[in-house]
Parts: sequence; structure tokens; C-alpha cells
Amino acid sequence: MKRRTFVAATTSLIVAPWINRASAQQPVTINVMAYTGLFQDRYTAAVVEPFMRANPGIRVNYSPLPNSAAMIGQLRAQRAAPQVDVVILDVTVAKVGTDEGIFSRLDAAAIPEINELYPNARFPNVGGVAVTFDNLVMIYNTDAVKPPPTSLLDMATPGMRGRVAIPGLPDIQGMSLVMILDKLNGGPGVEGRFAKGIEAMAPIAPNVQTWEPRPDVYAPIINGQAAIGIGWNARAQVNADTSNGKLAALIPKEGTVFQINVINQVQGAPQAQAAQRFISYALSAPAQKAFTESMFYAPTNAKAQIAPSAIDRTAVKFLDRVVPVDWIAVAGVRDQIMDQWRRRVIPLSR
Amino acid sequence: MSAAATAQGPAQSRRGTTFTAATLLLPILLINAIGFMLPVANLAVISVSEIRSSGAMTGGWSIAKWTTVATDPFYWELLANTVRTSLIVTILTLVVSYPIALCLHRMNGAWKSILLVLVISPLLLSSVVRTYGWIAILSDRGLVNSALAALGAQEPFRLMFNLTGVMIGLTEILMPYMILALLAGFGRLDPRVEEAAATLGAPPYRVFWRVVLPLSLPGVALGSLLTFVLAISSFITPKLLGGGRVFLLATEVYDQAIVTLDWPLAATLSIIVLVVFGLALAVYTRILRQIG
Repeated sequence: MKRRTFVAATTSLIVAPWINRASAQQPVTINVMAYTGLFQDRYTAAVVEPFMRANPGIRVNYSPLPNSAAMIGQLRAQRAAPQVDVVILDVTVAKVGTDEGIFSRLDAAAIPEINELYPNARFPNVGGVAVTFDNLVMIYNTDAVKPPPTSLLDMATPGMRGRVAIPGLPDIQGMSLVMILDKLNGGPGVEGRFAKGIEAMAPIAPNVQTWEPRPDVYAPIINGQAAIGIGWNARAQVNADTSNGKLAALIPKEGTVFQINVINQVQGAPQAQAAQRFISYALSAPAQKAFTESMFYAPTNAKAQIAPSAIDRTAVKFLDRVVPVDWIAVAGVRDQIMDQWRRRVIPLSR
Repeated sequence: MSAAATAQGPAQSRRGTTFTAATLLLPILLINAIGFMLPVANLAVISVSEIRSSGAMTGGWSIAKWTTVATDPFYWELLANTVRTSLIVTILTLVVSYPIALCLHRMNGAWKSILLVLVISPLLLSSVVRTYGWIAILSDRGLVNSALAALGAQEPFRLMFNLTGVMIGLTEILMPYMILALLAGFGRLDPRVEEAAATLGAPPYRVFWRVVLPLSLPGVALGSLLTFVLAISSFITPKLLGGGRVFLLATEVYDQAIVTLDWPLAATLSIIVLVVFGLALAVYTRILRQIG
């Protein structure tokens, strides 16, 4: 062996452990796909950044998309070579992803926080588990609607003609409204294709100014273009704060329904271990507490100790008013409900 | 030998021309194949993919969506509504654009350039921004209703979140395309022909009807085709100004693809839009032949 070769070999043997350690300390980057806008801002501050501080070896790249369907579209396109590790989206779309083999099943052995979740945060046919609960609320402009509304039927009064904003079907906010009205009118729910709920839309529909409020349902109510409508609690609460009380939200006496966001691990995720660590953190009590106190989504972790000022602004204290909904069963009959909506509700609002 | 060489010359020249033409066409053929034919083929494949009621693609094949579209009256109504709305928008756009284009064509000097820039400048703005501008103008508390209220109107007029709003918005948004197409078509309009007609005693309306309009028909046909195709594929303006009451093919494609996740149905409807485009093109070609 030549002297130079001997020196090089010996040096590399001595230095190798340090090189390995250095490469092990290279931060791993995981891609987390979730909603854009307000959700991104609040989730980054309440969950992503604290996670990165607690795990300096893992960097989180937040990939924002406007809705769950756009997310599943991108995941379908990446199926051969997934680029995303973790996805937060609506439970009905999570079911689609699970059925198509896009999401893997989360394992409580690897993510012990799953055992801390409420029972309704786990689903038999969905790979992921619930990470946030939201609920439908009535929203109104505090200057335009006096006294404050209490019932969904306040949207049907003559004074509200042309002043109601409802995100109509196929948006699940409109679907939630139909389901609550169906229950109120003694409908059997999925089995009856929510026909009673569709029927009960008759007095509300003529008052509707738009079934497609843009950019969302909160803006036209804050700026006075519309006076009353329905929306999701979390965003409504934040908008109530940022509009200095111009917008207010309440759970109507007829009840509310939960909307569930599920956290999923992508099958074949490039950084599976780091992804599990992130999911573990996102489901943990501290992360759930931080996000609930920031954006008023109800927590899914039963051990999360939320400040009373925040928990009072979620549906947690109104569980008796929550209409139970099997979203996965609803997705199965959505076309038929949509058909009735177009034929029996939209014409009443023309 | 000299005769053979003479015969070989044109044949070689023809081969050379063919080769040059093929070489020149190759890039656009490749771009077309990758950018258009391949996605359309993909759409066709998706349209016959099987899907569960939840929205999950099974990987199997089914013509269920084509059957649904063919048998459900809603989709026939949707198609008729889309074609009717696009035709009305095309006619409205033509009616308001024609005088502007004619005026621009007859202008000279700096004013022509300034006005031309003004006509084209809306294209520099996104149609989303322009549509939001229309929301500010047409809403219950907007410019129009405020002016009407000042004149004593008791109730605001419903100018948006309905078909009226969609038509107003689309007409304005598509006007620059129509004007540019008309200006291109006015190239055949020789002012001396108009002068000749006037000299022979034709009143202005007859000069317009018998001379100006026939000579500008190629531009009218081109502008109408362009506007019709853009109107039929418009999605943002009907979505923002339609208020969920105006069902058009493009908005339905969006809902099926992005909200209900029914990709096969969205693909089926997209192919139908393409067929309508093809038919519009065929009508345009026929009209051009008749004019020409």
C-alpha cells in the first residue's frame, strides 16, 4: 500500500463517526399540506413553529391549498412519487384518500396521543384521526340585525329579504343547514335523503341574496352587503374579533353539526418518521390547547386543558345541541341531495 | 440527360419544400400534442373511470357518467342554458363593441393610440379584479343602486347574483377581445368605397347597411367566435356574479372537480364543452366561406 493511500484510509476511518453524526444532524424537511389563509397563519403560529422549536432536527414546510378537494387532486397527481408527508383535510375527503390508498392508517403504537382522543375523533374506515372539530353557526351583522337572531328561521323573516348569504350545496355548510332542518322536522336523515330538510328550506330560499358568497361568507356580512347567514364557528370567531364586533356568531336553537378535519400520513411519505413525530405533536394536548385558544376549533384531545375564554367560544358547552352526522354516509348520497337542492330550493330564490 | 436533370429538379425542390414545411411544423405539432392532445386524451380516460359515491376512484372503468349526462334533463338544460347565455353575451358584446371599433378605425393620430390603449388596458387586469369591480357597482348599495335611490327608487334593483349580473360582467370583460377582432376585420374597409356610395346618393344608414357592414363581416365573425368561446368557458365571472343561481357548464365542471370530487363527471362535461367549441368553429368556417 502506498503511503498516501494509507494516510487517506486511516484519516477517513478516524473522521467517519463525526461525518455520520453531522449528516444525522442535517435537518429533515417534512411537507405538511393544509388550508390556506387564516388557518395557515394561526396553525403555523400555534402548532408548526412550536413543533420546530421543540424538534430542531425537523423543518416543516407548510403547503397551503384552498380546500380539501384541491389537496386530494394534488396527492393523486403525486401518487407515484409522493412529495407531501402530512395532510390536514375534511373527513369525507380523507375517506376518499384512504379508499384510494393515498393515506396510511395511523398506528396508536407509534403515535400514543391517538389514545387520548375523544372516541368520535376516530373512524373505522379512515386512515387518519380528527385533529380539529368545527361547527356550524349563524353569523350576522350586529348593526343590521337587532335584536340578535336565535333561530335559523330568523333568516326567513320578511325583513331579511335579499339579505341572507348561505354557501349553498355542494358546499358542506349548506349541507349542514339542510341536515339540521331535516332533524328539526323529524326527517330520518341519510335514509330519507334529507327530504324534510330540503322542504324546510322553502321559507328561507326566497330571502337568499347569494348562494356563493365570495371571498367567503364572512366578508359580505362584515361589510354590510348581506346581513345574516351561516358559517363555520372557528373562522366566524376570528372574524368577530378582527371586525371589532361587526360580525357576531351563535349556535342557533335548532342546533349545530360538527365539521371534522382529519390529520393523515401520506402512504410512502418521504419522511415517514418525522411525519409521525409531527402528527404526534399536532394531536398532543399542548398543541390542541394552543390552536383552540388561537382559532376556536374544538380540541380532539380529551386531555387538552383549554382556557375558559376560548372553550366558551367553541361548541364544547353546547354538545346537547349537536345533531349527530355520519359525514361518510352523507357523502354517499350527496348527488341525490344535490339533485333535490337544484330542483326544489334554487328555483325558489330566483 | 439534360431533360432528366430538368425533371429531377422540380421533384427535388418539392421534396425540399415538404421537408422544410415538416421541420417548421414539428415544434407546434409537438407542443400541440403535449399541451392539448395528451390532456384531452387524459380527460377522455378520466371520463370513463369508475368512481364510488364517496368520490373515490376505484381504478375500474364505467360509462356511468356519460349515461347520466345523456339521460338527466338537468345536463341538457345546462347545455342549452350555457349556449343560450354565451350567444346572448356574444350579441351584446358585438352591439356595444362595434361602434367603438368603427370609431377607432376611422380615427387618426395620437387620439387613436390613446383610445386603443384605453380599450386594451382592461386586459392588463385579472378578470377576478374586474368582476369584483362590478360587484362594487352592481350591489344593492353599489354605484347604480345608489344613483337610482338618489333619483327616488324605493327598492334596490337586483343587478347581480343572477343572470343579469353575469351578462353585464361578461359583456364588459369580453369587449376588448371583440374590439380587437373587429379592428382586424375592418382592414378591408376602404373609405373610398363609402365615399363612392355616398356620392351616388346613398344616405348614411344605407351606406352602413350595404357597404360598411358587409365588408366588416369577417371581423364580426371572428370577434363573435372568440367572444362565444371565451364566454362558454368563463368560470370566474359567472361564479362571482351568478350568486349560485346561474348554472353553466364551466361552473358545473368546477363544482364537480373541486367540491364534490366527481372527476369523471367533470371530465365528461369538459369534453362536451370541447365539442361545443368544435361546433362553433365549424359554424365560423361555414360563415366565412359564405361571406368569402
